[in-house]
Amino acid sequence: MNCKYGLALIALVALPATAAAQSTESGTVDVVGTVRSICILGDPTSALVDLGQLSAASGPRTGRVAVIPPQTVTLPGSFCNFAGSAVSISATALTAADATNPQAGFARAVNYTATATGWAAGASLATTGAARDGTGPTAEGTGATQPLPQVADISLTLSSFTAPGDQILVSGNYSGNVIVTLGPAIAGGEN
Amino acid sequence: MRKLIILSAPLALLAAPAMAQTAVDGTVDINGSVAGRCMFIVPNKTISLGEISLASNGKLDVSKVNGRSETLTGWCNNTTAAMTVTATQLTNATTAPTGFDNRVDYTATAVTGSTSANDSSVTAGAGSASSVGLFSGDIVVTLSNASTPNNGLMVAGTYNGNVVVTLTPTVTVGG
Repeated sequence: MNCKYGLALIALVALPATAAAQSTESGTVDVVGTVRSICILGDPTSALVDLGQLSAASGPRTGRVAVIPPQTVTLPGSFCNFAGSAVSISATALTAADATNPQAGFARAVNYTATATGWAAGASLATTGAARDGTGPTAEGTGATQPLPQVADISLTLSSFTAPGDQILVSGNYSGNVIVTLGPAIAGGEN
Repeated sequence: MRKLIILSAPLALLAAPAMAQTAVDGTVDINGSVAGRCMFIVPNKTISLGEISLASNGKLDVSKVNGRSETLTGWCNNTTAAMTVTATQLTNATTAPTGFDNRVDYTATAVTGSTSANDSSVTAGAGSASSVGLFSGDIVVTLSNASTPNNGLMVAGTYNGNVVVTLTPTVTVGG
């Protein structure tokens, strides 16, 4: 038998494609946060407005409300971080500490107009209309809607001080207040 | 005198001297390969920051962002595998007027073992690649250096961003 050396070679080769592009893998960490809707009013430059003597001390208007110059208080750096905010004012007339119903010809109330500007187009204003006995002292008003997030100095001006019927003011200490509110505009709330 | 001389012959037939025979081998070679590959086992997580503005002044509360982390899990089987991080800033869709910000930037750092890669969202695109090699395990993603472009007031609403960690096996030649 003539045997010959033989070689049977079966090569099973799994060759990767030469220079095969290998895909990348990505993992994702989503990051989520929120910012609440807020409004902040700056601290008023003066939290107390002292008008001093309210009545004229001499002349033809003696005893009646004096000419009181406008008073301005600023609330600096006030802001709302959302669209659609407005400034509202609640003004309460100055009334005498003595709540006794005054006699005819006298009044125990001083009305005025409170105007807030610097927030939206136009102003927010409220004019008090207290009676001479001090009843019905509070008036409210809301300004236009600010359509964007806003940061601004809001100026509050108190002006046009009058007594009901321009009657003589009873003596004593008088006090009132103005509350400024900055918040979401309420549909139909503009004055 | 006659003598008997017997010449004995072997009765057995001896096998002929062994003939030289050649062994024959057949060989089956078996080869295979494993492609360089990376894979995420846990590919998605969410970091919920909650409220990110300060109640006192409406600006970014960086403490709500810095140090927050989540953990992905994955592996690469290639010694030359690389990892990159792409951080995308948190944004809110509302336009920010003057004085406000609607964007929060941060740095995201991904760490697995002793290897880390990071990226700042201030500039678009991925950060530098780091060689991660063979590994299998956690990839911890941590946020830091939170800021807003103008240190302004934060516009109200929802803010979304993300961190993409990319694992890349390198290209190999041959089996």
